[in-house]
Amino acid sequence: MFDITQLLDEIKASPYEEIVVTAPHTGVVTFTDVREGARVIGPSGTWKEKKGTLLATIERERNQKPIHAVEKGEVKEVLRHLEGAFVEAGTPLVRLRHFLSKDEVLAIILKKALHLFVAPERAKYYFAPDVDKKVKASGASSVSLHEGMDLFIMSRMKREASLAYSGPSGVIYAVYFQHNENVDAGQPLIGVCPPDQLSLIEDVVARVQTEWEERE
Amino acid sequence: MQTKDHKVLVANRGEIAIRIVQACRKLGLAFTCVYTAEDAASGHVRIARELGGDKSLCRVSSYHDANELMAVADDAGATAVHPGYGFFAEDYRFARRVSQRDRKLIFIGPSWRVIRELGDKINTKRLARSLGVPTVPGSDRPIYDEMEAEKVAQSLFEFQEQQGVRKPLVLVKASAGGGGMGIEEVYDIDLFRSVYRRIRNYALRQFKDEGVLIEQRIRDFNHLEVQVVSDRSGRNPVHFGTRNCSIQSTGLQKRIEIAPGFDPSSIEYGFDAAQVLRDITQHSLAMARKVGYDNVGTWEWIVTRDGRPFLMEVNTRIQVENGVSATIARVRGQKGVDLIAEQIRIGLGEPLGYGQEDITFEGVGIEYRLIAEDPDNRFTPWVGRVDGFGWPERPWLAMHTHVPSDDPYDIPTEFDPNLALAIIWGKDLAEARERGVEFLDTLVLEGANNAGEPLRSNVRFLRDNTGRILKF
Repeated sequence: MFDITQLLDEIKASPYEEIVVTAPHTGVVTFTDVREGARVIGPSGTWKEKKGTLLATIERERNQKPIHAVEKGEVKEVLRHLEGAFVEAGTPLVRLRHFLSKDEVLAIILKKALHLFVAPERAKYYFAPDVDKKVKASGASSVSLHEGMDLFIMSRMKREASLAYSGPSGVIYAVYFQHNENVDAGQPLIGVCPPDQLSLIEDVVARVQTEWEERE
Repeated sequence: MQTKDHKVLVANRGEIAIRIVQACRKLGLAFTCVYTAEDAASGHVRIARELGGDKSLCRVSSYHDANELMAVADDAGATAVHPGYGFFAEDYRFARRVSQRDRKLIFIGPSWRVIRELGDKINTKRLARSLGVPTVPGSDRPIYDEMEAEKVAQSLFEFQEQQGVRKPLVLVKASAGGGGMGIEEVYDIDLFRSVYRRIRNYALRQFKDEGVLIEQRIRDFNHLEVQVVSDRSGRNPVHFGTRNCSIQSTGLQKRIEIAPGFDPSSIEYGFDAAQVLRDITQHSLAMARKVGYDNVGTWEWIVTRDGRPFLMEVNTRIQVENGVSATIARVRGQKGVDLIAEQIRIGLGEPLGYGQEDITFEGVGIEYRLIAEDPDNRFTPWVGRVDGFGWPERPWLAMHTHVPSDDPYDIPTEFDPNLALAIIWGKDLAEARERGVEFLDTLVLEGANNAGEPLRSNVRFLRDNTGRILKF
């Protein structure tokens, strides 16, 4: 079993992450008056329905698309020389320094604590229809897994194959893949918690909740 | 505006993007290419950097996003769009938008009305029937209702039983699919419902459209095509001969294409093959004239063992296999026909400049589609890195590929693992076959995946099938 104290100390030593906000598509960029050193906020609300700080807009085919901060943090750099220019998709626009939140720290630690079922190939993944129904109705944690059950549909180049679960029995504690997004080979798809470790995992959650101080 | 003053936006990727760039260069036209993050190492990006002028390459978020293409076209000063095949090639809404927006562009393909008319399968069939052209039976439109789907399937089974078909079967396919994806065969009406549901769910996931087509599958047939070319007047369509595309994967994707469609001079058929080729060519041209067809297009036919042709569909675009027709075609006796260059030239408004009497054919062409896949395992795509790719240059060989031969290349998982098209010419079928085998035997194609397993390709499948080409 891993050492949670050590892990927390490691994260505390470098609690930052650099986030690069890029152009989602081509278009002409206009920055807002956000400056280097300014504090920005990320999406908030129960369903993250409130957008983060507006950083720039990008206009294409007469449509303006707002570009918001994806996480809270401090603005490190605004690439102002792109003001008014037509940029390619993926062009970096703003760099943010983001202080890890409780949930993010928890996610990092859980990735070490849970049994991870990883993607065998770079592909898009979907829950198998029966599992999908359950997930939609009562959440991923309602799905109990056992060796050999049909869990995923793996889709590559529009060809689909079913993928069976292998690993310890347990419930799905964390879901790491997004609908219609590619997952690289070796990246985790889900985190599974065996029933006998449930209390341990809950301890971990509690410790992070109490020990991690969220900074602005 | 003169033809050479145009700038063409190449709205596609890979091998076809390269060929469009080469055709533009031949015609003295400027061009601009697009690419996505996954394709940064693709040959079309490289050729755009090497050969392109000002603003000849732009990274976009997706090839499927029309707004991206329009924005790049405007920024680069493009005046025309070449859609290649796939993506927007047969999307009449895209063609209409391109040609009707404030800053108008020329869509290098048939006009949007023609695409709409022939893209609609009911319309195509109605038009065909009105001209006395036989068509494949089946649902004339996508079906969204399970009961209706079952009814159509039931009637197709009954129809085949009446026709004396021993093992009737029905084909269920995703309406929005293509290229052989999302198709299943059903032999038993009791199993129909589960297959229908599976395909419907697949279609919804992959194409966001649950429409399903239900068709009769005629077993034991040859798949033929007629290449039609017509300028913007729409009045003088000509044909560039026929192709045979019967050698396919189990997923019904083409693997070997041959021009001409049959070879009665060296192979005996159970029917008058020359007459069948004449019939399908004449039927195709009659339809092209009727709709005022005004660019390149392909009429796809199935020919049964007793020599009866049925029209399957019309592809209102340039096809992958255009080069195999070009390799045997001569215009006023001249070699070097390039159907993509012709498509661009007439698409930009030039008259075709020659008639059917100026087009002749010489020899036999074979096109191999080199693909990283496992033919022994239902043609499953293989993903990994290609690190050895080469072939001896031959005067009778043309290779079209986006895979670099001097650098390793990671196959992107977003697209089919097509690696190259090899087009071989021979003075007759025997020589073309011999050269085809020689090419495949000298080809170097190596690589490995994450797990260290060697590259799988269809080279042996292509070699094994070379012996039976054009036989029926």
